[in-house]
This record gives sequence, C-alpha cells and structure tokens, in this order.
Amino acid sequence: MKKIVACYKWVADEADIRIDEKSRALNFDRVKYKISEYDRNAIEVGNSLKDKYSCEFVAVTCGAQVESSLKDVLSRGPTNVYYINDEILADADGGVTAKVLAGIIKKIGAVDLVICGEGSGDEYGQQVGPRLAALLGYASCTFVTKLDLTDEGLMAERKLEDGIEVVQVQGPAVVTVLPDINTPPIPTLKQILGAKKKPTTKLSLKDIGLSRDACAPKLKNIGVLGTVMERKGICMNIDGLSIQEAAEKLAKRLSADGILG
Amino acid sequence: MSGIWVISETPKIAWEMLAKARELAGNEVVTAFVVGDYETGMDAISFGADQVLLLEMPANIPWEECRDVILKAGETNKPSLIMVAATRRGKDLAAQLAALLDAPCVSECKSIIKDGENFLTERIVYGGLAVKKMVSNGCLVATIPPGTYHPEKIEGRSGDVKQLKPQGFKMVVRERRPKPATSVNISDANIVVGVGRGFGSKEEIQMAERLADILDGAIGCTRPVAEDLRWLPEECYIGLSGQVVRPALYLCAGVSGQVQHVYGIRDAKTIVAVEKNENAPIIRIADYYILGDLKEVLPALIGAFAKAK
Ligand SMILES: Cc1cc2nc3c(=O)[nH]c(=O)nc-3n(C[C@H](O)[C@H](O)[C@H](O)COP(=O)(O)OP(=O)(O)OC[C@H]3O[C@@H](n4cnc5c(N)ncnc54)[C@H](O)[C@@H]3O)c2cc1C
Ligand SMILES: Nc1ncnc2c1ncn2[C@@H]1O[C@H](COP(=O)(O)O)[C@@H](O)[C@H]1O
Repeated sequence: MKKIVACYKWVADEADIRIDEKSRALNFDRVKYKISEYDRNAIEVGNSLKDKYSCEFVAVTCGAQVESSLKDVLSRGPTNVYYINDEILADADGGVTAKVLAGIIKKIGAVDLVICGEGSGDEYGQQVGPRLAALLGYASCTFVTKLDLTDEGLMAERKLEDGIEVVQVQGPAVVTVLPDINTPPIPTLKQILGAKKKPTTKLSLKDIGLSRDACAPKLKNIGVLGTVMERKGICMNIDGLSIQEAAEKLAKRLSADGILG
Repeated sequence: MSGIWVISETPKIAWEMLAKARELAGNEVVTAFVVGDYETGMDAISFGADQVLLLEMPANIPWEECRDVILKAGETNKPSLIMVAATRRGKDLAAQLAALLDAPCVSECKSIIKDGENFLTERIVYGGLAVKKMVSNGCLVATIPPGTYHPEKIEGRSGDVKQLKPQGFKMVVRERRPKPATSVNISDANIVVGVGRGFGSKEEIQMAERLADILDGAIGCTRPVAEDLRWLPEECYIGLSGQVVRPALYLCAGVSGQVQHVYGIRDAKTIVAVEKNENAPIIRIADYYILGDLKEVLPALIGAFAKAK
C-alpha cells in the first residue's frame, strides 16, 4: 500500500486584511484563518488517490498556530494529520518550513508521494515543494495538472509556459499541483462530524531532531507595506435610475473623462 | 563565498539578469549557466558574464534536472548571489538549489540592493496586497521575473565558455505538447474588458466581446475563467499569477475583485465594475460601478457606447 502525504499551510484570509490608508500598515484584527486555497486542491488529489488505489493518506502542517486547522483538514479526507505547532515558526521562511516538513515526513517514514499546492496564499513563494524534494532526495515534479500512480512511481502532466510536458517518475516524488487539477468539494456535515473521531499526531521540533538554531530564518523581514489605491467609488444607478439610464450616464462620464475616443 | 551566478534556460532572460549581476558584482566573477552552443556562450559574455557554463540536456530530460551539475560547479566556491529566471522551471530549480545550499530563496524578486555583505530584497506578498522587504545573510538565491532588467551589450569583452555534462536524472519526458500560438496580447491594450465567473456560460462571453469590439479593446479575464472553466485562453487572465495590465479603462463584469486579480489591474487609470452583489470587493476599488445583472447591464452598455461614439 502506497503512502501519500499532502502538505497544507494555515494562512490568514487575505480578503480580511485591512490596510491603514496613512501608515500603509497591515491590520490583522479581523482576520480569519483558512487552509490555503490551492492546498485544498493538493488535499483533494491525495483523497482521490486514496479512494482509487486504497493508499494510506495523511496530512502534514507546521506553524505557530495550526491547531485550529486540524478538524478542517481531517474533514477533507486524510485519516490523520501530523503537525508541529511552535511559536518559533511564526517567522519561518521557506527554508525553515521545508526543513520542518521534511523532518515530519521522515518521521512518518516510507512516504511514496508528497503533494503540495502550487503556492501558498500569503507567501506564494512556490518554493517549499521543490525544497522538500531536494531535502528528501525525491524527484521534484512541479506545476502538475494531471497525476496518476504507476507501480514504480508516477506519471504526470506538467503545465509550463510553452505547453504541456508528460513526465514519468521512478521512485518517490514531491509534486506541486495547479488549481485546475480538480475542484475540491466542500466537506459535508457527515465528513465534518467524522473528522472529530479521527486521530491527530502532534510532534515537536525535538522529535524530528531539529535544533532551535536551525529554525532561525535566513531571510529577515524588515517591513511590510500595504498598497493602496485612490478610486472614485461612484455608483451609476442610484436614485432610482434604470440600468438603461445608468449605462448612458456612464458612457457620458467616460467620454467626459476623455477615455472614450 | 564570492561571485554571482546567473542561470536561465532562455538567453534573453540571462542577458537581462547579467546586466544587474554586472552592476552588483563589481570586480567579482559573474558566471552564466545557459543552454546553447559556443555562440550563445559568447553572447552571454558580451552581455556581462566573465565565464559561461553551457548546459546540454538530453532531449527527454526536463531542464531543471541540471540541478546537481550546477551544484558540482560550485563545490569549490559558493557564490554570494544566484539569480535564476523566474519561469516555472527556473523556480523549481532555484528552490532546490537553495535547499541544498541551505540558502534563502526570494521568489519573483522585485528589487535587489547590495548592503555591505548582505542583500536587501523586495517581493509581493498576501496575494498582491503588500510589498515585503527582507534582508538576507549568506548566499542568496533569487528568481527574477522576465523583463525586470534591461540587457546591455558591452563591446570587447572576453571570457571562457565551457560545456557541462549533466547526469543523474529522476524524471523522463514521455511527451511534449507545445501550446498553440495565440495572438492574444492584452498587456498593451488601451481598454480591457474583464470577464469573471459571474458570466453564466461561454455563450454569454459574446456580450463582453461585442463590448470590446465597440470600445476597440481587448478581452481579459480572471484565473478561474481561463483555468477552471477554460472559456478563454490562459494568456487572457489577469493578476498575481497572470498578466499585469495598465489600460486607460478596465471595465469588468462578474468579477468579484479578489486581491490576486486586483494586483493585475492596480495601475488601470479607470476601473468600471458591473456586479450584482454590492458587497463584492470590486465595488470598493471601482471608480464607477453599475449594480445589476450583467445579462441586463452589458446590452445596455453596448447600446450606450455605440451611441456615444
Ligand atoms: C495564490 C493565488 C493566486 C491567484 N492568482 C490569481 C490571478 O492571477 N488572477 C485571478 O483572477 N485570480 C487569481 N486567484 C484566484 C482569486 O483568488 C479568485 O478566486 C478569482 O479572482 C475569482 O474570480 P472571479 O471574480 O471570476 O469569480 P468569483 O469570485 O466567483 O466572482 C464572481 C462574481 O460575479 C458576480 N456575479 C455572479 N453572477 C452575476 C451576474 N449575473 N451579474 C453580475 N454579477 C454577477 C458575483 O456576485 C461575484 O462577485 C489566485 C488565488 C490564489 C490563492
Ligand atoms: N507551513 C506549512 N505547512 C505545511 N505545508 C506548507 C507550509 N508552507 C508551505 N507549505 C506547502 O508548500 C506549498 C508552497 O508554499 P510556498 O512556497 O510558501 O508558496 C504550499 O502550497 C503547501 O503545500
């Protein structure tokens, strides 16, 4: 039985982040967290392979506050979630994250396939997947839109700038998947309730043999500045104006602004 | 640790990065890893490289499998900076090199400044909402989007060109299906009509096309319209992972205005939205908007613009 791992990141929902117009500082006061958008595709790939080939399928995550993600991820198919929750990971860069994830995956042992998203919702560095492959000594198979297991490894279609490349991999691999690979279903009530009964496996940095020094990021954040836009925000169909009238008003406005011809 | 490496599968992006590498390197050695023949190598020298290592990959091996042979070349001297073209293959390769060198990697780096021994870099985070500044220490890997720097040919330069022989691959290419050539070019259009998932079917896009015809504009769309629904070619999608446009007018319908999409239209002079949900984020970033069903609004707009012209 093949063993499959999906890696997901628990990220701030970028739609909830507000930017202070004056200081351009980011305000996270009303931010909710979520499983990074494209990692839901990664989880669903693992889930469908589990159903198709009866593989063992678990999820993996790490971060400073990932415990609230566990029920959510378990409702999406994996039978267990292995995680490290440590305050030191609040500043983790892609390098640190990959080391921690590689440690967890080695601890799980004999993993045939690791599935990551194309990129995370906050960093979108598109680097943790291939980094993991290098650290684990696995093949790195990125930007995948179709994936199937073979006896020796896998076959995948990768989408690159100039077209599709069909590749064959012998042995274990890390793949990163594009969002067009599938449409992740919204968990049903039954799946949400079922998630509560599934086990979780908490690990520590010590368990994976990673020192706290090794978790110091080599990229230090020295400031994040939000971008703001000045826009007019004028509604064309207020005061009971019909769509027809609003359309004509808009055409006049754009002509007056010198945009139409 | 000294010197700068420039790695690219296409010569043009190598030349762009070489211009920046030359500026940062001072008297240090700039090494270019490029694909091609001796001629290609000599070109890289005239664009700023001191030495060139040619990567010759077997036809059925993905280019980024040159990872190990590149690392081998650096066994005796680790560079202070490795610049890799931010193509999909380049990003894969860069991240693997960074992992094996235990180095930080700045993806899609927007600016690099040398600060003593360190580098200051900037990149976009949170779906396009913000710019993050970072300082790195030790060897830095950065991927550079095509078009970031201007190549400069310098007359009379000389240098070594050597051939590398990559080996030890984990992947084999079974088939390649080149993307059909399209004539889509929305980045230069003066007016762009944006199509979002609010369109109910592929047929309804005809309304957007008629509007674009009347306005003499081009059609753009959101990522799911191109990638999930496949209603329009991928060259049409605008945003963080797609095209960035700077038209005089961006008029969109059925586009909710998520940050990743908005990143690509930030510099539009005027933004107009047609949207049925007044709480959609696009409303907050539009100059003008019409609240309503696009099936009703677009025909009205087609009529009004036809009259106004
Ligand atoms: C890492 C990452 C990168 C991404 N990169 C990009 C990118 O580069 N470009 C991009 O576009 N997206 C990108 N996305 C996806 C992005 O987050 C949004 O999912 C996407 O932009 C939404 O597309 P949409 O507006 O077409 O669809 P939706 O969000 O579904 O919006 C549809 C809108 O249409 C409205 N509507 C529905 N019916 C009608 C009607 N009859 N009349 C009028 N209005 C109607 C709805 O009210 C809604 O506001 C990225 C996401 C991630 C996580
Ligand atoms: N903290 C994390 N925990 C688990 N997986 C992660 C984490 N960070 C990144 N990943 C995985 O790596 C992918 C790429 O992340 P990034 O390099 O940040 O764009 C994500 O889509 C996830 O699959």
